[in-house]
Amino acid sequence: MRNYFYCAKGIIYKELLRFLKEKSRFFSALVRPLLWLFIFSAGFTSALGLAIIPPYESYITYETYIVPGLVGMILLFNGMQSSLTMIIDKEMGSMKILLTSYINRNFLLFCKMFATAIVSTIQAITFLIVAYFYGIELSITGVLLTIPIILFTSIILNAFALFISSVIKQLENFAAIMNFVIFPMFFLSSALYPLWKIKDSSLFLYTVCSFNPFTYIVESIRFTLYLKYDLSTFYIIFFYFIVALSLAFMGYKSKKVLKKS
Amino acid sequence: MKITILELENVSHSYDKEMVLKKVSFSIEEASFFVLLGLNGAGKSTIFSLLTRLLNLQSGSIKINGYMIQNYSKALKDIGIVFQEPTLDLDLTVRQNLYYYGALKGLSFKETIASIKDELTNLDLDEKLDTKVQKLNGGHRRRVEIVRSLINKPKLLLLDEATVGLDLKSRFDILDYLRRKVQKGEISVLWITHLFDEVQESDSLAIIHKGEILATGTAESIIAEYKQADLTQTFRYVTRENPDA
Repeated sequence: MRNYFYCAKGIIYKELLRFLKEKSRFFSALVRPLLWLFIFSAGFTSALGLAIIPPYESYITYETYIVPGLVGMILLFNGMQSSLTMIIDKEMGSMKILLTSYINRNFLLFCKMFATAIVSTIQAITFLIVAYFYGIELSITGVLLTIPIILFTSIILNAFALFISSVIKQLENFAAIMNFVIFPMFFLSSALYPLWKIKDSSLFLYTVCSFNPFTYIVESIRFTLYLKYDLSTFYIIFFYFIVALSLAFMGYKSKKVLKKS
Repeated sequence: MKITILELENVSHSYDKEMVLKKVSFSIEEASFFVLLGLNGAGKSTIFSLLTRLLNLQSGSIKINGYMIQNYSKALKDIGIVFQEPTLDLDLTVRQNLYYYGALKGLSFKETIASIKDELTNLDLDEKLDTKVQKLNGGHRRRVEIVRSLINKPKLLLLDEATVGLDLKSRFDILDYLRRKVQKGEISVLWITHLFDEVQESDSLAIIHKGEILATGTAESIIAEYKQADLTQTFRYVTRENPDA
């Protein structure tokens, strides 16, 4: 057990060191959702009327609505950023160092996902603090209760990212992932508009959104942030947690680590 | 009687339908310097990947320190690894890189530095502990990787083309250092290379070509067996290939 503890500590230590050394990564991760909050939502706030929907108990501004979605955006982009790092690691060979440890590989991969999730959580909380000072109504209790949810859901996104990194052989293919995975995952969710609005426009898109794990990640953050819970959402994200973890572990099984060189 | 530290028996491997290793067998005894010599594409790196569990064993058996490779938590516990490509994190310092690797070996930060204190001094790295890796030259980076592989005092050290890209002095400094450790009985080394000048006559040697082991023994005995003048000629004779081509 002692070995596993030090191993986990080392992986988290390295991820935090990288985070501290790449300050531009921190600010760019923060600037993206803030631009959406300050500019995009300002433009749309008058165009989009929102009915009272759970977990909100009264009419809310559009800025308030999209905050949980923007937290999700931070987690999603940071997860994909970590996927990019994994591809570089694979190309540079440093990934091999991790995978040749005598410690259980799935444990090592989980630690890697958890370490990235810690970094994502720090960014997400910073964003919530900025949003609070911008005027979004948030409670300290809500933010504190959201931390474990952010951490947990971030692991799901990191696991998907890890799986993607196991499939991609070259860094050049990452642009395609942006277009075919990240953007559809973000836009086909309840991050920017409630699902009932999508249902009004297109039943097909609504069905797609209903299967998108990102929808449930955003909703679990939204509900917890406003001190509500929806048990069915938690069951669903737990299901996606198992699926994502299984995919990540399968992606890094021995025979798939190396391609013929 | 010496203990066998690594044993490969009838190991075969294929990528899709292409067979790259054909019933490879050899063994390494404790406190020996064993060279696996072959041209590019001979199958050396595939063997290395099988030994480090980056590839799954398809057929045959591999035993490290008495444990089957499938029992990796025990088999890989006492080995050190140096990869052909650089694997240090350039943005981190030497110390931070060592801490990270030590952690992957289940050691605390304090234990990590304590376990390689002598190695750091012997390889002139103790002054560079807080230097960023990207500021080190190629020779020093390789030395850091050697020291890193010695964390946890492994019984067997696996090195895949560890001197590629280094100047002559750096290459032989590293080789001499490891040979001294072997002579002291501290470690066994599997040195994988395509460079003939890195082999000494007293070294245990296996010549691999197109996935097959063609000769094993000490370098001296193999040269004598095929009645050739030197190792290069012996290699040419055994493989029917010109290594200089």
